[in-house]
Amino acid sequence: MSENKQKTWGTSYGEMVWHEFAKSKFTLCWLGFIILLFLLAIFAPFLANDKPFFIKIDGQLHWPLFKAFTASDYSIFLAATVAVIQLLLVFRNRKSVDPSIRSGVLWRQIFISVFVVLVGIIFLYIFIPRRLDATDYKSMVASGKATNAIFAPIPYGYGRTDLKVREQPPNRQHWLGTDDVGSDVLCRLIHGSRISLSVGFVAVGISSIIGIIIGAILGYSGGKTDFLGMRLVEIMMAVPVFFLIITIVAFFPRSLFNIMLIIGLTTWTDDARFVRAEFFKLRRQDFVQAAVSLGLPLRSILFKHMLPNAIAPVLVNATFGIAGAIFIEAALSFLGFGVAPPTPSWGQILSLGVSTTGRFLWWLTLFPGLAIFFTVLAYNLVGETLRDAIDPRLREST
Amino acid sequence: MNTNANTNGFLLKVDDLKTYFPVRKGLLRRTVGYVKAVDGVSLAVKPATSFGLVGESGCGKTTVARSILRLIPVTSGKVIFDNTDILAADSAHMRDIRAGITLVFQDPFGSLNPRMTVANIVGEPLKVHKKITGSELTEQVRLILSKVGLSADAINRYPHEFSGGQRQRIGIARALILKPKLVICDEPVSALDVSIQSQILNLLKDLQQEFSLTYLFIAHDLAVVQFTCDIVAVMYMGKIVEQATVSELYNNPLHPYTVALMAAIPKITVSTQASTHRLKGEIPSIFSPPPGCPFNPRCQFTGDNCFSQNPPLVPVAGNNEHLLACWHIKK
Amino acid sequence: MSDNGILLDIKGLCVNFFTENGVAKAVQDVSFSVKKGETFALVGESGCGKSVTALSVMRLIADPPGKIVAGEIIFDGRNLLELSEHRMRSVRGNSIAMIFQEPMTSLNPVYTVGEQIVETIRLHQKKNEVEAWELATEMLRKVGISDPGQRITEYPHQMSGGMRQRVMIAMAISCEPELLIADEPTTALDVTIQAQILDLLDQLQGQSQMSVLLITHNLGIVAERARNVAVMYASRIAELSDCKSLFDKPLHPYTQGLLKSLPRLGFTGKRLYTIPGIVPEPLHFPAGCKFHPRCPIGCNNKRCQTVEPQLRSLDNGRAVACWFAPGYERPDDPK
Repeated sequence: MSENKQKTWGTSYGEMVWHEFAKSKFTLCWLGFIILLFLLAIFAPFLANDKPFFIKIDGQLHWPLFKAFTASDYSIFLAATVAVIQLLLVFRNRKSVDPSIRSGVLWRQIFISVFVVLVGIIFLYIFIPRRLDATDYKSMVASGKATNAIFAPIPYGYGRTDLKVREQPPNRQHWLGTDDVGSDVLCRLIHGSRISLSVGFVAVGISSIIGIIIGAILGYSGGKTDFLGMRLVEIMMAVPVFFLIITIVAFFPRSLFNIMLIIGLTTWTDDARFVRAEFFKLRRQDFVQAAVSLGLPLRSILFKHMLPNAIAPVLVNATFGIAGAIFIEAALSFLGFGVAPPTPSWGQILSLGVSTTGRFLWWLTLFPGLAIFFTVLAYNLVGETLRDAIDPRLREST
Repeated sequence: MNTNANTNGFLLKVDDLKTYFPVRKGLLRRTVGYVKAVDGVSLAVKPATSFGLVGESGCGKTTVARSILRLIPVTSGKVIFDNTDILAADSAHMRDIRAGITLVFQDPFGSLNPRMTVANIVGEPLKVHKKITGSELTEQVRLILSKVGLSADAINRYPHEFSGGQRQRIGIARALILKPKLVICDEPVSALDVSIQSQILNLLKDLQQEFSLTYLFIAHDLAVVQFTCDIVAVMYMGKIVEQATVSELYNNPLHPYTVALMAAIPKITVSTQASTHRLKGEIPSIFSPPPGCPFNPRCQFTGDNCFSQNPPLVPVAGNNEHLLACWHIKK
Repeated sequence: MSDNGILLDIKGLCVNFFTENGVAKAVQDVSFSVKKGETFALVGESGCGKSVTALSVMRLIADPPGKIVAGEIIFDGRNLLELSEHRMRSVRGNSIAMIFQEPMTSLNPVYTVGEQIVETIRLHQKKNEVEAWELATEMLRKVGISDPGQRITEYPHQMSGGMRQRVMIAMAISCEPELLIADEPTTALDVTIQAQILDLLDQLQGQSQMSVLLITHNLGIVAERARNVAVMYASRIAELSDCKSLFDKPLHPYTQGLLKSLPRLGFTGKRLYTIPGIVPEPLHFPAGCKFHPRCPIGCNNKRCQTVEPQLRSLDNGRAVACWFAPGYERPDDPK
């Protein structure tokens, strides 16, 4: 691929947005923080686990930590690997694929990635049995039955209860203290990040897709369809979302996926309105009229001409939506409607701040609170910079 | 194919085209009236000629263009292109018709999709209509780009990297890649810098020669129309008020509006002085046009008929090609 | 109070815009003067710097990213660039007024027309509420709006483009300015309305000896209305002349090219003359004479390619910035 050919390549919209976004070093730091959180979530079982990496029992080498991976652990590893590969592919595309065919290529790659991940997850959940390894490796080491054990940096499991050390403030053994059943707070915090981050993405993913579809239909049709459709959307908007979520959650089994689904199904109205407004504007734009006048099929007009130009506000709203979803999940867990124990969640730890004896256990409030605060802050800052990057700069350059 | 459409050698024939926009008010959006954007326009364009449509803002010339292509719902009338009634065509025929009539837009900044590369913008119509892809498509795109004066480098660039004149060239390339018979140019040079306008006007003329194109040329600038067109029609408030060959119109304008329009154009001559013939008043609101001839509030020659009946567009005595809609000015 | 009838004297104005992609020299070394009671036209295409020049007179250049880096703007004996912001505000709207291209965006849509005119009047003149409204109504009548008593209570969106432009003019002249800067006042208007507005400006000028600095790209308007004209290209003045001579015998190749390439009523040729190439952007100005890449006589000339010609006055009161203009040493002449 000659350099000269690349010189004739223009800068695409995505490149311009990134270039503008990257000008703010401050926001890049927060983006780094988010990436760190993701790494924490992905590698949680390596960081905080009561099972050692390996251990010698009766002369035989065992790898309990690895053996105990659940289907969800493997799913997360799979999704993370595919995501990294996809990101690398995006960079490769920039360097070696013609801009004119790049978006087609990219969509094909994304499609394959998502397909691989979904199929993989289904397979993993079917084929990986739910094992529960309740062996107490620490006591084995202590009693000398096992040797050469290397534990994770935080050698506690999130399901492990130890009533002897319950409600302890931060100390040498438990850096952030323990909760009411003796589980290590730091360990639960790290594992809890998985819940928070995945809720953000899946919930916002669902709500964005619903919002885009509805907004596009209303925006493109106009007239009676839009009139009636908007009234339905407004009815949806009039319902207080949080109470709706609580009510629905009370009826359904408490699973993480249910919560993500419900949040997604109730927060799409903003995206719908954004897309609808953009579609109204775009319908009158000359290039859309040009596409119609050239007899291009509706499919192409919607997906190639209108949608890419309407997506900007949805992207921005998505970052704020992720922050909001994390917040909603934390609130739900705080109120006791979130994921069931022993699955850790930041909100759930928060709710234990006041013990049954009336003592205020400050470490159970402060640390999850800080975690939620910084995560939501990070997403909000990234969202704001994204909005600035998308908005007037790019209008100016036209 | 509509076989009872008889066009007499005209490529495009518009018959009494009416495009009314309903005005809706109230909670239930009841229609309280109509904006008569195009109110009975008839014209006929011979192949390989240029027909100019001139008028100020709100006269309906752009609406005529969009109505012909069915980008706007038409209220009544006939539009016959190449022996087919466009307004009655079904969607399959419409696709073919759309390959035969293309549009060049006024705004070089808004008429190109900012997210697509030039290759896709210009090549997509060819891909959709003729199912050409891959290297053959790229070749065709390169060819048409060179015809409009752009280098092959432009293929992988995005619209924002080009100047106004270059973008207009891209728009022209997109309009021509399907080798249409009729190209409707909607104010193609109004938004361009003065020193670029002549480039694009020359280009349009050259392309017309090379591809035997027929133009329906819409503009508000009479001088541009005089250079580009063979026949000119002047529109006012949705109606054609005068029509003639270019030389006839410029040497012998008859309708008071045409005369005033020409007087109002600032001219550069050696001894220049502003003409003192002025139209009084504003262009009336299109929501409530005056009864009778639409020009009567501003006309200096009004008589009785003018306030009650709309004058028909009829040939002037002595010249069948010069049409005039006026009760009072007679040759 | 300056003499020999010169109201506005701009000397060596330089305005730079400091952007992330570099310094854009929007206006370089622009000098011209406007006499009392005359219409002076500043002509050029997009990006030539004419609007920036006009905004500089009013000191309305946004800083950052723009900055007036050199020059003097002498108005009525005072250098406007040296005034404090406070003093400058009493000049704006009062002694110098400006009207803009887009009447819809230049008028505040949430206030009635009357409120906007009265605001200007009360700011600069010692009039009470009643007197100000009377004056405002009188201004509307002066600019040819019929039934001003009714119109004064309307909002901008209730008026047509031509009428809004008249309102802008009324606002501008309400304090009897000595200089009216009109930045493309009729570009957004229809031709018949344009003629009315220009007639109105002529009429107002006749009544009050107001000077008009007319900024436009339309050479026809310049020919009909202006006494003197400066043609700008790519941040510099290419040619400075009285109107009649400019159209009679343009000296700069750019002006010559422009006049030849305009489609005109009565033109019978098959092709228009074209100036090849595109208008350069401020961040990518060519070296030497800014016009040389497009110039029929200068594109291959060494001097034109490397050295920028200065604006040089000729005997007849005209000035040209071109190496090939009369009075310059021809580039190939022996030293």
